[in-house]
Amino acid sequence: MKGLFAVIMLDLKRLQTDRVRLISSLIQPLLYLFVLGSGLGASSVLGKGRYIQYIFPGVLGLSLLFSAVFAAMLIVFDRQIGFLKAVLVAPVPRTAIAIGKVLSGAIQALVPAVVLLIFLPLLGMHMGWLRFLGLLGAMVIAAITFSALGVATAARFKSTTVFPIISNAVLLPMFFLSGALYPLADAPHWLKILAHFDPVAYAVDLMRGAVLDTTFFPVWLSLAVLTGFITTLTWLATRVFASGEDA
Amino acid sequence: MNMQYAAIETRDLSKRYEKVEALRGIDLTVNAGEMFALLGPNGAGKTTLFSILATLRKPSGGEARVMGFDVMRERAAVRQRMGIVFQEPALEQKLSVRDNLLLMGLFYGLSMKAARVRTGEIMETLGLTDIAARQAQKLSGGQKRRLELARSMVPNPDILFLDEATLGLDVDARRSFWAQVRQFVRSGRTVFFTTHYMEEAEVADRIALINEGRIIALGTPRELKDRIGGGVILLATEDDVRACAWLMQHGHKPEASERGIVLVSTEPAAVLPALLTTLPVKTLRAEVHEPSLEDVFLTLTGKGLDNGEAVPPKPALIMGGAR
Repeated sequence: MKGLFAVIMLDLKRLQTDRVRLISSLIQPLLYLFVLGSGLGASSVLGKGRYIQYIFPGVLGLSLLFSAVFAAMLIVFDRQIGFLKAVLVAPVPRTAIAIGKVLSGAIQALVPAVVLLIFLPLLGMHMGWLRFLGLLGAMVIAAITFSALGVATAARFKSTTVFPIISNAVLLPMFFLSGALYPLADAPHWLKILAHFDPVAYAVDLMRGAVLDTTFFPVWLSLAVLTGFITTLTWLATRVFASGEDA
Repeated sequence: MNMQYAAIETRDLSKRYEKVEALRGIDLTVNAGEMFALLGPNGAGKTTLFSILATLRKPSGGEARVMGFDVMRERAAVRQRMGIVFQEPALEQKLSVRDNLLLMGLFYGLSMKAARVRTGEIMETLGLTDIAARQAQKLSGGQKRRLELARSMVPNPDILFLDEATLGLDVDARRSFWAQVRQFVRSGRTVFFTTHYMEEAEVADRIALINEGRIIALGTPRELKDRIGGGVILLATEDDVRACAWLMQHGHKPEASERGIVLVSTEPAAVLPALLTTLPVKTLRAEVHEPSLEDVFLTLTGKGLDNGEAVPPKPALIMGGAR
């Protein structure tokens, strides 16, 4: 437990010194929410106001996904500069390093996402405490899933130059396939099938369920799939950390 | 500390990376309380051996124990007892000196309170208290290395591993660094280090010379130098290639190095005058000195320690002409 605490403390101390990262992580979701939301919403059958409300959980997903994976990419940077070795030679169980990295990435991702919740009243989205807590719970699960995805990926890479590739070739397709910006129920059949393989789709659906009371997947399925993803990806990351420099 | 076992013990240790055999049966014993140097050119296997002992890599064969614990099966116990200074900076640059040490304390299982106390002690010992609040990225090269050393000492280790720890530091910073390491050794603990600097290796109790994944010589600095006996003649000529060829033809065993032609002789003072009069190439400089570790390595392998590259090929033909 002490090792887990140390990993999380290290990353949070770093976040504290990196305010630029926090501020810049808000730019992309705000653009999606207000520019894309207003622009597309004007011509959407859902209507301007309703469209922004509809994509709000998707924008939360976008923020959580990119912030979590970016936080995980610091592992690659640490490996590149040699700092990771100092962590790996410490007597901390590799499981604790992997879980610590996943949790600290999730916390780092939740900070800007929670800031986005300030805009809820501005968007005319008023919800009771129970519903709000449900949304927070879904956000936590989504953040842990995306962080696990980032840690399992980053643990394998040795150069930070892979980040733009991952961003464009993996994260953006996952985001666009997730139904974050459109209702999956009305999407073409092939898109619906692909969405079943996309963890972002389940995470966004869970958040949308909490906010708008409408889901594409059954809640139990989303929870089961996301738990499966978290467990598998964290296990994969543990294996990589256990290999040390042989990875 | 238990002094009954060797601080480091390896038996037939090997490591293979696909087609490259980095270590080929390393047998090594480092005694507890010893200051031990591993010397060899780049690519000799130093870093691989270092990484295995530091539990960062798995060996392909053989076994290794650190402070009596198997580096494969008892990794946590090994990690708990060692401190490491890596060649690359292993600091969080944006955090302060204090926070870097404090966090390392947490990584080694200390409570927040105990980590704060330990951080204070270490900063005091290594003279870092005045710069405790300064970000690591704003420290000088020497201060950074001192912080690295402090980081490695946070767990109060029984053994300290130093991998090219003073690379790039100026002479004063290196001197200060080694003074602190010597203080650590005086407390009865073990230091295992790799270095490129000959004068740093000379302070070791024993040195292992490693080349192409094998230990080729092991002993005290004096023992290693005595291996080649006598002394060394260092020649710089107008045409070293031609001079080498002539020397070989006349029964000598010259080695070309970056410093010039190295000639090991049992009686260098007696040989040199005759050489200077008969060598068919103009001599620009001639020196006689005691063998250095560089000379030992050169004699044993035909390679320099600086880059591990083989010496230029000796000429097959003798160029004619007198001085």
